[in-house]
Amino acid sequence: MLNDFLFRLRSLFRREIVESEMEDELRFHSESQLEKYMKTGMSRDQGLRRVQTEFGGLEQVKEDCRDARGVSLVEGLARDLRYGWRTLLKSPGFAAAALFTLALGIGANTAIFSVVYGILLRPLPFRDPARLVLLNETTPRVGKVSVSYPNFQDWRAQSHTLSEMAAVSNVGFNMAGASQPENIGGLAVSPNFLSMAGVRPVIGRGFTADEEKAGSAPVLLLSYALWQSHFGGDRRVVGQTIRLDSRTVTIVGVLPRDFRWVERYDVMEPIGVWATNNGSVAEREDRGDLVVVGRLAAGARIEQARAEMDGIAARLARAYPQANDQCGVSLQPLREAFSGDSRPAMMVLLGAAIFVLLVACANVANLFLMRGSVRAREMALRIAIGASRGRIVRQILTESFLVALLGGLAGVGLALAGIPAIARLIPPDTLAGASVGMNGAVLLFSAALVALSIFVFGLAPALDSAGGNVQSALKEGGKATSAGARNRWRGLLAASEIALALILLVGAGLMIKSLYRLLAVDSGFRPERVLKMEMSLRTAQYDKDPAVIGFWQQVLDRVRALPGVESAAVGTAIPLTDDHSRTDITVEGMPLPKPGSYPHPDTHTVSPDYEKTLGIRLLRGRGFMDADRENAPRVALVNETVAQRLFPGADPVGKRFIFGHLGPNRAPKWATIVGVVADTKMYGLANPARLEVYVPFRQMAANDMVLLVKSRQEPAALVSAIRGVVVSIDKEQPIFGIATMQEVVNASVSTRRVTLILLGLFSGLALVLAAIGIYGVVSYSVAQRAKEIGIRMALGAQPGDVLRMVLAQGGKISIVGIAIGSAAALGLTRLMAKLLYSVSAIDPATFAAVAFILALIAMAASYIPARRALRLDPLVALRNE
Amino acid sequence: MNERIELPQGTLDLLILRTLALEPQHGWGISERVQHMSSDVLRIQQGSLYPALHRLERRGWIKARWGTSDNNRRAKYYELTRSGRKQLATEKDSWQKLTTAVAQVLGPA
Repeated sequence: MLNDFLFRLRSLFRREIVESEMEDELRFHSESQLEKYMKTGMSRDQGLRRVQTEFGGLEQVKEDCRDARGVSLVEGLARDLRYGWRTLLKSPGFAAAALFTLALGIGANTAIFSVVYGILLRPLPFRDPARLVLLNETTPRVGKVSVSYPNFQDWRAQSHTLSEMAAVSNVGFNMAGASQPENIGGLAVSPNFLSMAGVRPVIGRGFTADEEKAGSAPVLLLSYALWQSHFGGDRRVVGQTIRLDSRTVTIVGVLPRDFRWVERYDVMEPIGVWATNNGSVAEREDRGDLVVVGRLAAGARIEQARAEMDGIAARLARAYPQANDQCGVSLQPLREAFSGDSRPAMMVLLGAAIFVLLVACANVANLFLMRGSVRAREMALRIAIGASRGRIVRQILTESFLVALLGGLAGVGLALAGIPAIARLIPPDTLAGASVGMNGAVLLFSAALVALSIFVFGLAPALDSAGGNVQSALKEGGKATSAGARNRWRGLLAASEIALALILLVGAGLMIKSLYRLLAVDSGFRPERVLKMEMSLRTAQYDKDPAVIGFWQQVLDRVRALPGVESAAVGTAIPLTDDHSRTDITVEGMPLPKPGSYPHPDTHTVSPDYEKTLGIRLLRGRGFMDADRENAPRVALVNETVAQRLFPGADPVGKRFIFGHLGPNRAPKWATIVGVVADTKMYGLANPARLEVYVPFRQMAANDMVLLVKSRQEPAALVSAIRGVVVSIDKEQPIFGIATMQEVVNASVSTRRVTLILLGLFSGLALVLAAIGIYGVVSYSVAQRAKEIGIRMALGAQPGDVLRMVLAQGGKISIVGIAIGSAAALGLTRLMAKLLYSVSAIDPATFAAVAFILALIAMAASYIPARRALRLDPLVALRNE
Repeated sequence: MNERIELPQGTLDLLILRTLALEPQHGWGISERVQHMSSDVLRIQQGSLYPALHRLERRGWIKARWGTSDNNRRAKYYELTRSGRKQLATEKDSWQKLTTAVAQVLGPA
């Protein structure tokens, strides 16, 4: 083995010596032979001839020796590469076209894969992340909901399939001390979260078990980003304090740079601290904002954990029917929680990019075939002088390899340029802190694409070139060896390009139609010229309702007085988000249902003018007025869905309900319905309306509200004036989440929009490549048939006949392509059904329109060469042959 | 000359090894030797001899050194290595088994 290797090495690196030795050896042989013949009385000339005949091709013997020495594989490759490089340089047009086409295909794939890898594939920055699961509670009416803290504690105590569990809650804080007050995101976690996830602070310590308990000293960990941006990365930060919501909190450490969570976060606190500030957390009914992360015990599968948790949930539902009736548990791999619902879109885009690459490969294969027919004579000559067919195939494959490699490099370059642009398109919550960029895995993928491309576009031309008949190729004076077969190949390739382009175009068409229909959906509100800004009143001065109400009232009064403001309101929720609080209600006089079956509407605290500012139609009754104050009779607005479901056939105005259930000891605080508003798309344009109840902000104070301002002109111009108003009331109160409602609408369809943009880009690319493909095939065959066309025209064929003949070729290709593409698309578009909205995956109109466009473009692409055929001068065409 | 027989697949290596077992020899010498020893029945084509020599050398069964030939010219001499000797023994053994077996099958004419 070692001998073999050294031998090969010597052959490779001492090539000159080895070659000359071989030369000497063979010369010695023929000279000895010659001497022998001359001894038998032959003349020198006779002997020489005899020796030469016996020896056969000297070059062939040498080549066989090189083969035997085992050097020629490597050396031959180097030679083929040099030769391939030179031939590419000799036809720069061909090389540029092939490289550019491939670079587009590989670039598109690399860019998309970098996104897919970053979001779906890259392991989460935790220890053994595949065994981490996310647990939620479920109710039949809402689906997934947050977990109540007491339930979490019972789960943790009872589960065996999950070796560890930790609660994670999102909390917001107002941070004072920076240049302007800021609202930051926080994670409140069980102290064992960090050890369970295998996350170690870069400096300082993690949390201790005691810090799970309420009343423990307030401590926190900084995110790496906040440490860098607000503390200059100073390592002495441990032990310092910061002020959050007028509490003084001690910094005990900094989280690693790569730690990320589903939601944005800036600090992490042990949950005990959070629990102190939440009296209601101890109540089982309260499903605040808690999710649970668990680690599967060694050997346990997620199905087993699911079954066990179902049993635990059923026991808890029996034990606490008031809080847990019909409540279940959902488990999903943590990975899925991070990637959210972006997986289908990304898989579709990755598939689309692969299709683009296939179209590109078909185009390059066509280029190679076209060149193959030009080089048929060269190849035939090489075979004639002793090159084996294997060698020819190898050489063509080497050229393909060169093209693919260079195309791949250019493609990676394109991707490097394009990735930041694509990354910017991705909505931040889809990204969930994932970084999208070039890395080893992405490069590996690109390398695999290069290999795939060589296979797809390199093999056909190679076999084609080697398969020709040597004699006829040489005899025919350099014309194509097997023109018929080659043209069939080329036609087939062009047809498959059309088919692939059709599939992509249908996909893009369906997305366009979905987005169009989605944006045309009646959202129930009017986003034009409306600005939203969020505020969270968290400092001690807002512990009492009157202070909270007073703050909002002052903001409203002063903002309404600003010039250019048409109306202003505050509310706990805005449409097209999915963060809404819900409560059971009891309608006066209704039969009392089981605990888990009460009507469970979203409840929104809003100010007067809320519906006017958002343009929500008032269908019946009145909106809230300033008179709906703390001590006035309790009132409420309901949406149309409440009216229809809870008061079918009756006028809800004047009816009464209470929040929660009727208790034996309390006098019910009835709220009277004073108006009905139109349904709004609170949960996104694609989702149906739910039960919504609105109450006046003076009767149910809320600390977290959204300020909505409708302006007469461009709303963004008002931002600084509104900031001024807020500062004048409370200079430590941060404002965040500033956006126009139009931006909110856009963000709500951003995943679809991004998918559409990229899919549109890909299908456009495929369309152009396919058009070039058809054009190439038809114009090449026109050039090939110039003589035939010349004869036809000389014999009196009309221009119309020639035109028809040429167009028919393009037509045949496009019909075959469209037929195959449509059939394939019928099967494939089903895979993107999840991305569509109110459009069938086999929408006939889309299919027909795309087929029509493709046919038109194919015709146009073959019309150009057809015109050229018409301009042929029969005499010239004939003479040239 | 008309009695010449095409060498069966795989026997060339055996012949080369056997020839070299007598003494180190150059390529031309090997082909002469085989022709002579086989009473002119076996003739090795140069086209297959040299690739075979290079292959055997790569396997480490023979090794080459430059020497001077009878007629005083520089020639590449091959000689058996130790593993070449072993290889010759195995190949010879299996060849004899093969021929005996074939002869048995063919039976007395």
